[in-house]
Amino acid sequence: MKKMLSLVLAAGLSVGTLAACSGDKEASKETDSGKDWTGTITVWDGPRWPDDKDNKFHWMEAKIKEFEAEHKGVKVELVQVPWAELPNKLGVSIAGKSWPDIAPVDISGSAVSIDQIDQGVLESVDDLYTKEELKDFYPNALDAYKYDGKLYGIPNSMTVHTMLLNLDLFKERNVEPPKNGEWTWDEFLDTAEKLTFDRDGDGKTDVYGFSTYILPGYYEAWPFFYIDGGSPLSKDMKKFTFNDPKAVDAIQRLADLKLKDKVSPESSGGADVGGTFQAWANAQQRTVAMQPWATWAIGAAQGKYPTNFAVANYPTGKSGKPVTIGGVGGWTMFHQEDAGKKMMVGEFMKFINTTDEQFEMATKYGTFPARISTADKDPYKDNPQMARAQEMSSQVVMLPRHPEWKKIDEAIQTELQLVFNGEKTAKQAMDEAQKKVDELLK
Amino acid sequence: MKPVQQVTNAAKPVDLARKTSVWTQIKKNYAAYLFLLPKLILFVAFIMIPVVWAFVSSFQEYKIFGSEWVGFENYVKVFQSSAFYDALKNTFLFTVVTVPFNVISALIIASLIHPLGKWSQSFFRGAFYLPTVTSMVIVAMVWRWMYNQDFGLFNYVLGLFGMDPVNWLGQSSTALWSLIIMQCLIPFGVGIILYLAAMGSISHSLYEAATIDGANGFQKWLRITIPLLKPTTLYLVLLSTIGSFQVFTQIIMMTGGGPGSATETLVHLIYKTGFRDFEFGYASAQSIVLFAIILIFSIIQFRVLRYDD
Repeated sequence: MKKMLSLVLAAGLSVGTLAACSGDKEASKETDSGKDWTGTITVWDGPRWPDDKDNKFHWMEAKIKEFEAEHKGVKVELVQVPWAELPNKLGVSIAGKSWPDIAPVDISGSAVSIDQIDQGVLESVDDLYTKEELKDFYPNALDAYKYDGKLYGIPNSMTVHTMLLNLDLFKERNVEPPKNGEWTWDEFLDTAEKLTFDRDGDGKTDVYGFSTYILPGYYEAWPFFYIDGGSPLSKDMKKFTFNDPKAVDAIQRLADLKLKDKVSPESSGGADVGGTFQAWANAQQRTVAMQPWATWAIGAAQGKYPTNFAVANYPTGKSGKPVTIGGVGGWTMFHQEDAGKKMMVGEFMKFINTTDEQFEMATKYGTFPARISTADKDPYKDNPQMARAQEMSSQVVMLPRHPEWKKIDEAIQTELQLVFNGEKTAKQAMDEAQKKVDELLK
Repeated sequence: MKPVQQVTNAAKPVDLARKTSVWTQIKKNYAAYLFLLPKLILFVAFIMIPVVWAFVSSFQEYKIFGSEWVGFENYVKVFQSSAFYDALKNTFLFTVVTVPFNVISALIIASLIHPLGKWSQSFFRGAFYLPTVTSMVIVAMVWRWMYNQDFGLFNYVLGLFGMDPVNWLGQSSTALWSLIIMQCLIPFGVGIILYLAAMGSISHSLYEAATIDGANGFQKWLRITIPLLKPTTLYLVLLSTIGSFQVFTQIIMMTGGGPGSATETLVHLIYKTGFRDFEFGYASAQSIVLFAIILIFSIIQFRVLRYDD
């Protein structure tokens, strides 16, 4: 009897364990029309602008409620993912074929690679909008989601990198900011020198003119490397060109702001993103007068970290043209087995990407709209800093869309870190990077 | 002759037991085996199958909808990769410095705690074990602050002596050593606890005999304690070597492998290959090579430190 009891108990435990391992099966109804489809759509999103309760997901939560009310039987599950964790989390999910239905990522390679598109991880959304409807999107925004003649996502925003100037520090040092935010490298260096000073007279520098950081996947410093006409790869993406004098001189000049000119703190060129931003924006610090940031930082400096600031171009170099790097954000749809569900997922993508939604995102979140109709509503009429940043859209150069870009980027950025540490010259570092990149370009 | 006879007789039941088949044993103790079954299922599902899968994957090019066999291509790639050798060099340096330091420091700390009274011993045992139950993520974040160039503790102390701040984690020359120092200064709690337990099981009569023979405290420690702790030392060396070869959390939290490849380690490289580049076949091959390296080290350590020597 005892043995029987043991047997039953142990068998029960085994079954219980196995049952715990199995997931809940999603209730779905496959239809051809899509209108009758019911079930759960999984959407990933990162934190956006906060409401009065500091909830940074309130916009998506509100849209989900509206959508569910309009589509009985459809449940939209929101998975909140910090932006910094999104590429890694998505990578793991893709590897395990447990991807979401919708995620706010681009196809540049940071989260979803060209190789994965080739393998069918993303659904083409060519049928989501009519040709006429697509005309409402900026062509360069759509191009960012095009691969092999197909559209693999819907753009919802565009960003650029800009120079942000702390006007309080300019005023303290009696320095004039660049007229119309336009300046040459020499003018920029002169300004940085004037803004580097010992505030308390202890013989140590308290405030620096400029700082930035270097980290794979981040491009705040990169427009500086383009200002003499340099670029990481040749136009046909078959040759590494960042060891060309046009790029090497520009890289060395930026590193020398710390190493020779002493207008950047020792931490400049390090990998501390948060610490770099805090040094410019946090009222308790404000130890750096000028930093380059993507446009989200404008929103932060107008909201969470109220700062008296101006937006300026990156300084011009030997090419004489102002340059910046831009990005396009949007929504991508992941592989769908069920035609009905695919239609419903597409419907939700359209629902959160209307002219009005892009307007709200532009005014509250600090991005530029990807829809012409949104731009026509002049979202920045009361926001001179964003309006100035939007002017820089015409200066945008896009990063190369090479299938191995993530590895190429790392090969370059890890060497750039050594330049900013003073361990290598820009030429030595880029020659070293070339060895690794050439392998990837084969 | 009698003692020999005794040994021969004693060996007989052992031989018989060996002859007993595994299946008979299972039948005899089936209830116990059934209770072990859930754990066994989890072990097979989450350890055995992934390990076998990794081995199989190491001969494939991973594709999401069906992988392709590539033979030894991934292994060739591993041994041709300069990144792998850089990571191996860093991991090796990390291991050869931290493992002896941690094991020896655990032995010394345990030896100092052992003679204390019950309450003092409990206090120090708890105090030294505390970092072990603290998440390495938290520990790494605290150390990142201490190493911060602008407002970290270490540079503050240097500043008191009029010295310039050091970019501890940002320079190739100091980054890996900063991580090594951190690892050395985190008490090896498991080691201390195991050494204390092992010291408690050493017979007092050995120390009494040594005292009668005129041995002083240090001689007793050197000639009795350390030799009798050899099995524990072997276990701890193996344990910490495996742990050091698998160092990851500190790297991803504090340096990301940089600057350059100054703090790149094998497991961080495997992680990047798998979950950043999505080359799971190549990452599996790197994992198998790491497994082989750890295995070789373990065999060497086992042979050098084994008890019956």
